[in-house]
Amino acid sequence: MQITRRHLLTAAGGLAATAALAACGSNNGLSNNSGSSSGGSSGGSKPTLAQWYHQYGEAGTKEAVNKYAASYPDATVNVTWYAGNYDTAVPAALLTNSFPDVFEYGNGPTLDMIKGGQVVDMTDVLGSSVSKFNQSVIKRLTFQGKIWAVPQVIDMQLLYYRPSLLNKAGVQPPTTFSALVDAAKAQTTKDMGGFFAGNDGGVGVLGNMFVWASGFDQLNSGRTGLGFLEPNFYDSLKAYQAFYKSNALLKSASKDWFDASPFINGETAMQWGGLWSMPDVQKAFGNDFGVLAFPAMGSSGRPAVPFGAYSSCVAAKSKNVDAAKAFVKWLWVDQTADQVDFANSYGTHIPSQVALVPQCTKIAQGPGKDAADMVAKEGFASDIMWTGPIGDAFNSAMTNVIVKGADPASEFKPVGDKAVSELKRING
Amino acid sequence: MRAVRGRSARVLVVVRYIVLAVLAVLFLMPFYVIVRNAFASSRLIAAAQWQWLPDQWNLDNITQLFTNSDVEMGASLWHSAVMAVVQTGLTVVVALLAGYALARNTHRAARILSALTIFTLMVPAAVTFIPTFVMTSALGWIDTFRGLIVPGMFSAFATYMFRQSFLGFPKELEEAALIDGANPWRTFWQVVVPNSMGIIGAVGTIIFIGSWNAFLWPMLVTRNGTRTVQVTLSQFMTSQLVNYPELFAGALVAVIPVLLVFLFLQRFLVQGVETTGLR
Amino acid sequence: MSAPAGTRGGPGIAPLAAGRRPTWGRRLRGRQDRNLWFGLFVLPFLAGLLVFVYVPIAWSAYLSFFEARATVTPTKFVGWANYSYLLSDPEFRSSLLVFVAFAVLIVPLTYVCSLGLALLLSGLRVAQAFFRSVFFIPTAVSYVIAAMIWRISFFNGGRFGLINSMLRQLGGSNIDWLGGANYGYWVALVSLRLWLQVGFYMILLIAGLNRIPQETYEAAAIDGAAGWRLLRYITLPQLRATSAAVLMLLLINAFQAFDEFWNLLSGVNGTYPPYGRPPLVHLFVISLGGSNQDLGLGGAGTMILTAIIVVFGVAQNWLTNRGVERDER
Repeated sequence: MQITRRHLLTAAGGLAATAALAACGSNNGLSNNSGSSSGGSSGGSKPTLAQWYHQYGEAGTKEAVNKYAASYPDATVNVTWYAGNYDTAVPAALLTNSFPDVFEYGNGPTLDMIKGGQVVDMTDVLGSSVSKFNQSVIKRLTFQGKIWAVPQVIDMQLLYYRPSLLNKAGVQPPTTFSALVDAAKAQTTKDMGGFFAGNDGGVGVLGNMFVWASGFDQLNSGRTGLGFLEPNFYDSLKAYQAFYKSNALLKSASKDWFDASPFINGETAMQWGGLWSMPDVQKAFGNDFGVLAFPAMGSSGRPAVPFGAYSSCVAAKSKNVDAAKAFVKWLWVDQTADQVDFANSYGTHIPSQVALVPQCTKIAQGPGKDAADMVAKEGFASDIMWTGPIGDAFNSAMTNVIVKGADPASEFKPVGDKAVSELKRING
Repeated sequence: MRAVRGRSARVLVVVRYIVLAVLAVLFLMPFYVIVRNAFASSRLIAAAQWQWLPDQWNLDNITQLFTNSDVEMGASLWHSAVMAVVQTGLTVVVALLAGYALARNTHRAARILSALTIFTLMVPAAVTFIPTFVMTSALGWIDTFRGLIVPGMFSAFATYMFRQSFLGFPKELEEAALIDGANPWRTFWQVVVPNSMGIIGAVGTIIFIGSWNAFLWPMLVTRNGTRTVQVTLSQFMTSQLVNYPELFAGALVAVIPVLLVFLFLQRFLVQGVETTGLR
Repeated sequence: MSAPAGTRGGPGIAPLAAGRRPTWGRRLRGRQDRNLWFGLFVLPFLAGLLVFVYVPIAWSAYLSFFEARATVTPTKFVGWANYSYLLSDPEFRSSLLVFVAFAVLIVPLTYVCSLGLALLLSGLRVAQAFFRSVFFIPTAVSYVIAAMIWRISFFNGGRFGLINSMLRQLGGSNIDWLGGANYGYWVALVSLRLWLQVGFYMILLIAGLNRIPQETYEAAAIDGAAGWRLLRYITLPQLRATSAAVLMLLLINAFQAFDEFWNLLSGVNGTYPPYGRPPLVHLFVISLGGSNQDLGLGGAGTMILTAIIVVFGVAQNWLTNRGVERDER
């Protein structure tokens, strides 16, 4: 088989040369040892590192990360601010010759990256400092005893509401899902929906919340299958199904859930959104807003908020792995002032080193503090073994149930089967 | 009898024009929406009730778009322009040569290649995007102009069109040139090509529009270095930073070049279609 | 490119001269030269097809038998696993259904509308060129931009969408067009493609109409045929070849549908809902669109789709040939 492949490649290369197409086609992307974007670091000159960020939504963030990179003394760091679909772009880039040495990825590298040997073990970068970090995040970044990324800042989602509107409707801040439905219905008017969680009706962003708020985990304790295929979960979905059909759930707004504009514009009375939007909400409403976790669903339920941390990874095929690791340690372990600046000055994020939380003014009091407390008490992070195919199957079934009104039990059974085989593949 | 018929015919003509006018308004509506949204404020676009007239008759949205460092509109337009112009030129040359050879030869090799061309016409590049992506990334061409342009250069459609057109090209002209001592290569460029500008214009226009408007392939192979305007707009639309007036200002800017090309070359297109084998 | 050709200027005349006076040796050389020129002319095209179409397809066929995640040089042979996974994947099967539904809607609709416009324009004395341009010009717009207009302004499910605004003024309520709870997204998808492509096919059909000899109509008119009968017995039969080409092109284009589906329905961060997924979108989502680059699965999907087209093409060819034979009889 090996011969076949090489044969194919030479054939292709030869033809390309004949056709005078491969002007500089000598760089064959299949040889993984070929140069990365990190230029030749010969002798004593400073190494060059390519670092990638996804495009943050808050003004000033781009300038901030450029500033941090420029002030690093031991290497020249070129920051790429990646517009577009970052989650796809990074794994694709790791297949090619123009890949980042250092890159952030949501909740660390994917399992495929780890198992494919595309990223390096970062345990020694954290070293003894590991105890300073939020332990739930560290746990999420750990696979087979090794830590695969250094967490940057923690992001979370939560429910925004306005006390003035609740008062007018005569309802209390909801702590159960049925109370949420009632509150949404009570606040709905001709021009304003009651609750908004995205232009897909909330299916995409709330799917995992239904699992956690119903009292379950994504996977079973042995991580051999799904952990939530229970009647209580199906009842929760049926409850949301009914909510979806009512006009109290706003299903289309000027922006999606990650932007607080629908809430600020008065298109919806309550919105599921990101902590990062809190400055916008504060600017619009002053003190007239509050935040809640996603309320408990059903009898076995509990309130829940999701959190995750963009975390710095180092590509294994980088020419300067050690320099890249040193840079990550410098920025996300040692430079605590920059970390506070990054978390607090632009959007609202929670620093991943626990001791820095009090220095962040936006989460020191009021709704910001409530949010930070929720992460500590009611926070859930997606399991590392909750892979892309499982997530896709889950989301499809969720859409079919909520939007198309399909029966939950029969929709989710094949998802369970798919998860079992996928987890077997990963574990085996 | 005759008078009645004349009147009903006249009524019919009037009805015909009314129908055409209504349809014309419907067909032009999307262009109006681009302009309306490009010269509107965010507030107007998200307003509870649709408003027909924009509220911001100035270039603010366009200037904001071009200074928005998260969108990089200027660079995207440049990438699209390079892609469309180079791809059109190269595709036309490659297809002209092949189409001519296939039209003038009937031996077995020519027949096989013609069949291959028609087969490729049926299995379009879009269907084989994964194989082509695998090849392009293996060549290390991701996020390069080469990767953006070259894989799409070998158009079975263009070759087929040229072949059909040359089948109807008078051989006498070529034969005269050959007798005068020119070789087939020179004959081709000095006699055949100058007399085929109509079909070249038609195919070129179609290729240019397709190239400027391409989405799937640029989305796969471009990154920050070569992202084209269609990909930029698509990603801007679903990104966290979307601003609708700026988005539509971008649509306006992106649609103008291709509309101009289209309006100028439409004549060739219509003629080309009428004279070649698309029947 | 012209340099190597120029050096061969001398013997270029040979083939023709040989053709005129066929001595045996010269003819052979002539043939060889002819073949040489043929090779030179088709080489770029042939090489390009091989390198960027056929070799990649072969390579993908190879990948489809491997677990090729995030690699183009896989080592784990899995046999037919990728194929059986796809063929048992209900979403893959439903994506084929989406294509069928889309084709059933868009192909006849486009044909009828294009023909309608072509007939409406034919013989028009005043402003024919103007109307033709108006219907033709959407061809120049990209699916991305059209989808933007349809998604954000025409068919927006919110209160500010144009159609929803009108519905409310007429006493109705907002419709969530693209949300998937109803079939509104089909209205958006079909109307978008119709707007964009109808003009192009109208031009093809106008060309076809112009090729019908005027005498045929005159003869029919003398026989007293008019209106629908003229259309039924003269125009449509005379237009058969053009119609076949138009329908074929429409079908091939429907099979390739990606852009407008993606830009109308995709969500944030490259997600795509399970409804309204044509084959190419589904293939993209499962192989390249997510964080897992599953090229083995993508290869298998490509093979299946190509096989479907080939089978269909052969069948279509056979049917057309039969039709021609029947006509000739």
